Amino acid sequence: MALPLTPARTGWPAFLGALRAPAVAIAITLAVAAALMINPIFSPPFTVVLGRTLFLAMVLLLTYAAARAWPVRWLPHWLAPVVAIAAAAPLATLAIYLMATGGDFGAILSMERLSGFVLITLCGLVFGVLVALGATAREREALARSQALQFELERSRFETEALDARLSLLQAQVEPHFLFNTLANVQALVENQSPHAADVLKSLIAYLRAAMPRLHDEQPTLGNELALVRAYLELMQMRMPDRLRFGIDVPAALNTRRFPPMALLTLVENAVRHGIDPAEDGGRIDVGAALRGNTLTLWVADDGVGMDPRAQPGTGLQNLRARLAAFFGSPATLQLDERSPRGLRAEIVIRT
Amino acid sequence: MNTTRASTALIADDEPLLREHLARHLARLWPELQIVAQARNGREAVELFDEHEPQIVFLDVHMPGLNGIEAARAIGRRAQIVFVTAYEQYALQAFEHGALDYLVKPFDDARLADTVQRLRKRTAPPHDMAADALSPVLDRLADELRLRTPPRSFLQWIKASVGNSVRLIPVTQVVYLRSDEKYTLVAWDGGEALIRKTIRELADELDPEHFVQVHRSVIVNLHHVAQVVRSLNETADVHLRGRSEVLPVSRSYLHLFRQM
Repeated sequence: MALPLTPARTGWPAFLGALRAPAVAIAITLAVAAALMINPIFSPPFTVVLGRTLFLAMVLLLTYAAARAWPVRWLPHWLAPVVAIAAAAPLATLAIYLMATGGDFGAILSMERLSGFVLITLCGLVFGVLVALGATAREREALARSQALQFELERSRFETEALDARLSLLQAQVEPHFLFNTLANVQALVENQSPHAADVLKSLIAYLRAAMPRLHDEQPTLGNELALVRAYLELMQMRMPDRLRFGIDVPAALNTRRFPPMALLTLVENAVRHGIDPAEDGGRIDVGAALRGNTLTLWVADDGVGMDPRAQPGTGLQNLRARLAAFFGSPATLQLDERSPRGLRAEIVIRT
Repeated sequence: MNTTRASTALIADDEPLLREHLARHLARLWPELQIVAQARNGREAVELFDEHEPQIVFLDVHMPGLNGIEAARAIGRRAQIVFVTAYEQYALQAFEHGALDYLVKPFDDARLADTVQRLRKRTAPPHDMAADALSPVLDRLADELRLRTPPRSFLQWIKASVGNSVRLIPVTQVVYLRSDEKYTLVAWDGGEALIRKTIRELADELDPEHFVQVHRSVIVNLHHVAQVVRSLNETADVHLRGRSEVLPVSRSYLHLFRQM
């Protein structure tokens, strides 16, 4: 298990990274240009002038690289190289002149030498600072590009997840165990000529119709979803009348709201399967919704056995998160809370 | 049945309609059979069995608390057991294999008549072939049921107090965990909270495939790592996807991020 290290942006690797061929080429080009520019007003031969500008260019390049590699806290990111170059240009030029005069400081102060010193320093300053600013801007651009790329990747990952969730919803089938058990109950009712048989069949048909894979659900609403949830809970209550009680409390005004199909049902099925069914004495499930301002909250609360922190989260919840995000965008969240004394409350919050 | 005593049976199913349905059909196909008790779950089945000691036990496989397989193990060879199940492919195969009696819900009269026929013919359970074969088959089935229930190895949810409630955070959403003296901060996609578990405890309980300790006080979810940037003195910084915090990697954990 090893993550690839991205090129470090500080320290020695960064320092050496800044000294690559293109940077050196730019420094040399500018040094030659500066030498050509100031050569006519200089008395020393061109090669000497070129040597001095080249030396200065290399010192400034090293200074720039060092300033980027070991940033200081009290200077902004872009200013540090500029300050370093502004300081290095006169010092490096002074060093050149001290070498030329064999360390005779006084000789530099002669009129001719002094103007040369000032000229070279100015060249170094102007070119150095401009190049440093340019390089910083380019780096920033590259960073922005790579960030944009990363956002793009995130976005496509997000879209893929939503698509996967949709696909798995299409593939989602009625669990055979649920279907056959329910049919066995229907059989018992029919054979017994129970007056409930017709109602139960109606619930089963409503549930099956909603649970069948569909590609286009032209306008899925919360009202449709609640009808499905009710059909499912009624079926389960017929199967375990002594163990399951439920209540659905949603203001009628919310029924026309757009709502992703099976979203609430997933939570209700989870509450039955993981909360109520494993409990010998069962429990109660409450489904509700409330609109406060722009925030729509929907919840499924049970007082069943609750969640084992080591219980594998099913793909159901993960898919539901992706589906909610695809349907509403990021302002939709799903959270699970433990209830006291026991049970679980799942809550979908949508900011519209 | 060649004994003078009437045959007795117990029915265990968590769904009352199905208990009554089976009782009704048995009454029609085998009028002499006495249903001495009906149980709503595996635990009740075992209790009622001990109380009434019926010769035959109909056990639904899927029941709350103790399931049908576990109840059958508790009852053992003291009765003839017929498993009742809606759709458990794995169980059906095992029943076939172990020559155990079973009924598939919803069942028809013909199938139930077959079962009744077999039960009537049998002598006392202890000399029964099926009873001898019971144990290993049930052991295997119990194992399979356990396999089908979630593996209990690693922590999947972190419980954290948020306001007045205890939030269950799926570990896949957890970005990192960072501790100070007393508490551990858990940062996830939807917020941050303090929990009482220590980094050491969490490091033991979380799946090491996804969570690595990168510092004495920091565990990070690898799926949320954007990049690891090496810095001075053999340490590094972890940059997170879509977040501004930077987490430290100390020298002793740097080997986790060796360049590939």
